Amino acid sequence: MSVSAPPSQHRSATAPRTSPAVPVAVLVVSAVAAGAAVALAPSAAGTWAPVVAVTAWVCLAVAVLVGHRLVLRARRTAAEQEAEAVRLRGQVAQTSAEAAHLVNVTMPALVKRLRDGAGAGESLSGVQPPADPQLRRLADTFASAVEEGMQHVTRLDGERQQAQQQLQQAVGELEQLTRETLPAAVARLREGQSAGTVLADLDLPRLPVVRAPAEEFVRELAHSERRAAAAQAASTKALSRVQAKALGMLADLREMQERYGEEAFGDLLKLDHSTSQLGLMTDRLALLMGGRASRAWNKPIVMESILRGAVGRIAAYQRVRLHCSTGAAISGFAAEGVMHLLAELMDNAANFSPPIDEVHVYVEERSAGIVVTIEDSGLKMADAAMRHAEEAVSGRITDIASLQGTRLGLAVVGRLAVKYGMSVNYRPSSRGGTGVVVLLPPQLLAQQRDPGPHEAARRSAPAAAPTPGPAPTPPGSPAAPSAPAPDPAPAPGPAPRPAAEQPAARTELPEQVRRPTGSTPNGLPVRSPGRTMSEAEREREQRRSEPGPQGERPARNAGSQFGAFHRGRRSGGTGPDTPPEPPTAP
Amino acid sequence: MTRKPVDTGDPDRLYTVTGGRSRADDTFDLVTLVVSESQATAGMQSEHVRILEMCRHPTAVVEIAAELKLPITVVRILLGDLHDTGRITARHPRAAQSAASLPDTALLKEVLHGLRNL
Repeated sequence: MSVSAPPSQHRSATAPRTSPAVPVAVLVVSAVAAGAAVALAPSAAGTWAPVVAVTAWVCLAVAVLVGHRLVLRARRTAAEQEAEAVRLRGQVAQTSAEAAHLVNVTMPALVKRLRDGAGAGESLSGVQPPADPQLRRLADTFASAVEEGMQHVTRLDGERQQAQQQLQQAVGELEQLTRETLPAAVARLREGQSAGTVLADLDLPRLPVVRAPAEEFVRELAHSERRAAAAQAASTKALSRVQAKALGMLADLREMQERYGEEAFGDLLKLDHSTSQLGLMTDRLALLMGGRASRAWNKPIVMESILRGAVGRIAAYQRVRLHCSTGAAISGFAAEGVMHLLAELMDNAANFSPPIDEVHVYVEERSAGIVVTIEDSGLKMADAAMRHAEEAVSGRITDIASLQGTRLGLAVVGRLAVKYGMSVNYRPSSRGGTGVVVLLPPQLLAQQRDPGPHEAARRSAPAAAPTPGPAPTPPGSPAAPSAPAPDPAPAPGPAPRPAAEQPAARTELPEQVRRPTGSTPNGLPVRSPGRTMSEAEREREQRRSEPGPQGERPARNAGSQFGAFHRGRRSGGTGPDTPPEPPTAP
Repeated sequence: MTRKPVDTGDPDRLYTVTGGRSRADDTFDLVTLVVSESQATAGMQSEHVRILEMCRHPTAVVEIAAELKLPITVVRILLGDLHDTGRITARHPRAAQSAASLPDTALLKEVLHGLRNL
């Protein structure tokens, strides 16, 4: 539009200069032509010719004048329009410049001010408003829209920050709950505290959405802990009754075995065996449930009895061959545990070997303790099975939750091994099956009985004794003359007897119970576990047996004399060479 | 029923002592005298060792049972083991006394008659 304007403007500027000459020339030329025509006209048309010529010329002149006038008018109109167009173009340019200013300067400035937080009116007054009302309205609208947008953004930003803060708080509390609170709660609940106590003491999260599940969790856990503990306590209590009943049955059976003759003996033994197996099963459960074994021994038990006591509790006891030549004894406090452990291992070995094969049990005495090896000739255990067994007997897993229904025995073995410090190891057996090696550490062993004088005297006594009898009389022993016993004086009665009887009445008691030979390097005496109890038990029995029947005398006399003899020798007394208590008639 | 705090007995059950046997042969009765013929050797059952030590001099079965605190049947089974391996010999007291050493029946009758006449 603006490009095509200059040429037309140029053309229209030259037109007015030529326009007045053309009509005049036309009129002049036509007047000359008319004059010529009149002059040249025949005389016949002498009158008409000038008239026509003049008329024609006048007509032409009028036409030319009118045309000229019209042309002039048109030219004037064109000039006016030209001026109008120029004005309009200038206006458009101005508007365009204003719009450009608005877009490039005003609006960014407005946006900047609004962003800085100024209000719409304030921002508009700060910038130069466009002259054009439309543009001004546009600017107004724009400013208010931007202001509204900015407010919206600000509000949303605040909300977002708040939400983020809440989220962070929740994450922090969750983390604390997971890392500290819940483990602490679990530990306290395991200790037996109630849910209320734990919830009151713990620093629970404040956020309800976290707090509610945490409380629920603690309550549920407390409930299950309580349920587990109650089940455990109930089963322990019930099992202890079964244990007591089984023990009573065993005692009764033993009594009946004494009382009835051979005709009932086999049946009684069978019942005895069944009851013993029952005892093993209940003991196994009781130990797993945290209860106690049904029996407790107050005296050292020699290894042979330990092995027999163990083997008597399993079903296939006749397939087990015991090879025991050691005279070592297990202290009373550990005897039951060792017996149970060996019974479980023997049971396992017997169960996993063919019913015709024997299970061999060897006992060796080593400096590290007593090594019991249980070997079966069954199938070799698979590596995985052996690993499982090793893990079970290691005692590392004490949680009841890890128990499998069929592996209770080995779990008990693990607990007992840990409790008494025994080590249990599986290895392939030289017999083709599996071997279990149990090491009983020295602290479980009763102090070795010194076999010297006791056994020697017993062996040599009969040779020198003049009278044959059920109880060889020790005064004839070679040691007697050199070490006389103290004189028991006129009354050998009840007073000296209990003391004198002690060493022989219970030959299986180790000597250290009587005279504590064990001592620390510093010279302090070492008291063996269970000693006090066994002393008390022994005294009670002696009191009970004091007015005993005369029939028991011979055997007791031998012991009492020998004991007195020992005592005398130790005290180094120089009494008469008589035995403390004259032997009753043999 | 209250549980005894401690056990004062022995852990061995009798069937483990006899190896599950409950019948004894008839070699021994209560008064059979037993004499050991050899020394105890290592690895023997402790009851066998005690019997051998006890029977250096003739000892009656009932005395052995009392000493070992075991029922007669068990002792007879144990003695049977030892007897089978020749470690002990058994002698019945009555077998030692021949019928000839007993007083004559006629003499006894005369004594009875004399007593009644008193």
